[in-house]
Amino acid sequence: MATETAEHAGGGFPPFDQIATTGISQVFWLIVTFAVLYIASAYVFLPKIRKAMEDRDGAIKADVAKAAALSAKADESVKQFEAQIAAARANARDTASKAKAEADAKTAAATAAKEAELNARLAAAEARISQTRAAAMANVSAVAEDTAAAIAEKLTGVKPSPAAVKTAVSGAMGG
Amino acid sequence: MRIATDPMHQFQINKLFDLNIGGLDVSFTTSALWMVIGVLLLILVLALATAKSSTIPSRMQSLGEIWYGFIAGIVKDVNHAPGKPFIPLVFSLFSFIFVANLIGLMPYFFTTTSHIAVTGFMAIFTISLVIVVGLIKKGLGFFKIFVPSGVPVVLLFIVTPIEIISFLSRPISLGMRLFANMLGGHVALKVFAGFVPSLAVALGGIGMLMGGLLVVPLIVGVTALEFLVAFLQAYVFAMLTCVYLNDALGEAH
Repeated sequence: MATETAEHAGGGFPPFDQIATTGISQVFWLIVTFAVLYIASAYVFLPKIRKAMEDRDGAIKADVAKAAALSAKADESVKQFEAQIAAARANARDTASKAKAEADAKTAAATAAKEAELNARLAAAEARISQTRAAAMANVSAVAEDTAAAIAEKLTGVKPSPAAVKTAVSGAMGG
Repeated sequence: MRIATDPMHQFQINKLFDLNIGGLDVSFTTSALWMVIGVLLLILVLALATAKSSTIPSRMQSLGEIWYGFIAGIVKDVNHAPGKPFIPLVFSLFSFIFVANLIGLMPYFFTTTSHIAVTGFMAIFTISLVIVVGLIKKGLGFFKIFVPSGVPVVLLFIVTPIEIISFLSRPISLGMRLFANMLGGHVALKVFAGFVPSLAVALGGIGMLMGGLLVVPLIVGVTALEFLVAFLQAYVFAMLTCVYLNDALGEAH
């Protein structure tokens, strides 16, 4: 550095050279100004800043709590709503099954009644058939007896007794 | 010409008016003037920042909150809950140094933190505060910081003097660091700036061109760096104040 000698000749090194003459003054004014700054910030400005920040934190916390409460309330409503839906569904299922049972019972009753009627008609028809058949069978044995008596008379010339004919016919017919 | 290029001239303190209190020469000097300006500037900004407090902050309020939150964050990280009463002090220290450093970067403005008397007193004040707070909080137990636990007794004869020396060297390093950084930065700026007229005188037009094209960008870069240093040194001072306070506040280490 070419200017080094010039420096020393000109200004020297003020931070050290002037410490004897201005050191006390510097420290004095440092204390005064720093004290002013400290008092202003510690007792006026920082509490204000801190209060604003705390107020904001409080507001945010309150809002979050409010939101949580509202959310819980909404959840509660959803639960209630779901319960209501479930109840309605159960109710509907109940009504449906009841209606079905009723309809089934009605159908069964109608079927039974129809069946009974049909059975009765069937029984009546069967009775008529068996009656007719018995009558027919009776006629058959009478005809057979007459025929047997006539055949026996023609063959033997003797008219057999009706009782004997009847016994013989019923024996031949497997009676 | 010599005064204009002399890099030390900027650190000259000039007396503005005489003042004598109790036989002590406490004259109002350029240094005092710039301290007053710095503090007034800080108070102005703080007043603007706290003029209207609202839940949704304005720009100035945001600035104040970030500023306060930055310092409160450091104190909280380093000192935890017991450090809370010291937030205003650390805040004031940081702000005072930061504003003094920033003011110093303006041409023709005086850098109060470039004098060892100021930074040294700040450092001595900080260390004295640590000792006083330590003695109040822990009594004579405060001196346990010189006797690290878990060290064999034989080694204590070596370790304790080292701890004492390191403790006593703290105000020196604390004050010297800030002073030297500000002084060095400004000297560097001035020396680099001095290259331009030197080149111009030595080489004429070509020198002026070289100075303009090579040296001025360099000065711009160094100035940017000095802004970083201005912040960093204030931050370091505040941070170290917290760290040292931890000896007085924190659990024994």
